[in-house]
Amino acid sequence: MNIPGYSTILLQIDEGIGRLELNTPPSNTMTMKFFTEFSSVLEFISNSQEFKALVITGHGRHYSSGADVPVLLKEILEKTKTDEHGRLTVVPDFLSNNYRSLLMLESFSIPVISAIRGVCLGSALELALFSHFRLCGEDAVFGLPEASFNLVPGLGGIYKLACISGEALALERVLKGSTFTAEDALKYKIIDKIVPKKALMPTAFNFAREVMQDFRVEKRGLYIKKYFS
Amino acid sequence: METINKISWEIRNDIGIITLVNPPENYLVQPEFVPIETLKKWTSYDYLKGIMICGAGKHFSGGGKLENLFKMIGDKEPISETMGKGKAVLEHLENLDIPVVAAIQGICFGGGLEIALASHIRVCSENALFAFPEINQGIIPGLGGTVRCPAKTGFPKAIKFIMSGDMINAEDAMEMRLVDFIVSKQKVFDFSFTFLQKLTRDRPLPVINAVMKALKNARSLSPEEAMKEETRMFCELALAEAKRRNGSSES
Repeated sequence: MNIPGYSTILLQIDEGIGRLELNTPPSNTMTMKFFTEFSSVLEFISNSQEFKALVITGHGRHYSSGADVPVLLKEILEKTKTDEHGRLTVVPDFLSNNYRSLLMLESFSIPVISAIRGVCLGSALELALFSHFRLCGEDAVFGLPEASFNLVPGLGGIYKLACISGEALALERVLKGSTFTAEDALKYKIIDKIVPKKALMPTAFNFAREVMQDFRVEKRGLYIKKYFS
Repeated sequence: METINKISWEIRNDIGIITLVNPPENYLVQPEFVPIETLKKWTSYDYLKGIMICGAGKHFSGGGKLENLFKMIGDKEPISETMGKGKAVLEHLENLDIPVVAAIQGICFGGGLEIALASHIRVCSENALFAFPEINQGIIPGLGGTVRCPAKTGFPKAIKFIMSGDMINAEDAMEMRLVDFIVSKQKVFDFSFTFLQKLTRDRPLPVINAVMKALKNARSLSPEEAMKEETRMFCELALAEAKRRNGSSES
């Protein structure tokens, strides 16, 4: 069943499993509009009793290439409050809301599974890192490229990567800013399982169906062991 | 090059190098192995982009000589204060907003391992050996090893490692996430130095500082606070970058 009302997100529900697709083709850039809609989709899902699991993926060939940086910079320049020296005083709400959305996603009591094809860069990788489980196709490409344009990940990506992969790895990946493969992502524990591309979505839904029976986030490691080792 | 308490300091390009110079095992003279004021002075050069810590000769460090430590008990300064000063040195290193790499070869025991654990990245040689031998003398690691070790390895492995006092090799250390890279014996210093340089070369200091602060927050703040700060630092950098792109950059 399609749930209408969003232009940058496709939301469906089938037998209790939600399918949230980032839908700003071709590379599903996370625009300002996307972030606003994403936040209200999360509200909608958390207020609904129908969702027993959520699979997040990108429409088409890619998960997402991350935030629309030029627009984001322009918005920040316009909306950030600064003191007389031009220094930041208050972070604009639209930015704070984005990291709050990721915290909310992570706190869901239903399992959240990111199924990643193609590129998964910047804020998109941050979104994936805040999902409870991460599966990817063998051609997936990951990266936090922010440092290469004088920025840093800003939605908790540094924090989360340090928790998942350790401080040294987080430091290296963030400062280098270069992309890495599915194999590397698996080695860094960023990915729980690499799946042949064609089998990615069926695997994600089957896994969702199994895990949603008795999901508890503390049992993350056990589910992965049971289904993916 | 400057030397104090058998510790030397030099700056090569924009990387600072701290060398433990008390061969052959580079035992630490006291818990505050380098006076905190000296360390603060060394690390305050504002063009530094990274720090490498290594041992002179074949070994990183055998740690503190426990006989010396036991002798200090009964000195006019309480032992807790002496240890506190050592811990402050390691906290200063860990909280620096530029990356610190420990280049480890040969033995890395006790206080030596605690220095390595306070670094952000650990590179070791194939022949490196690690241990917390304190337990054999009826004491425990006293410079934060009991906290930083489980933070890296998880509790079960840390308990076994600290309680047994057993020595482990590079491979085991890698397996339990105590080290991040293993390289051949001849390459430890070169690899560590080059790695630091490559990591920081094309990055402006504000970006490096923001990443290091975010990592510090990840260690010390709640998830909400750490993320809030990360967004704030992103916003600061984005503001500067937006102004730069607009060609209206202010001082």
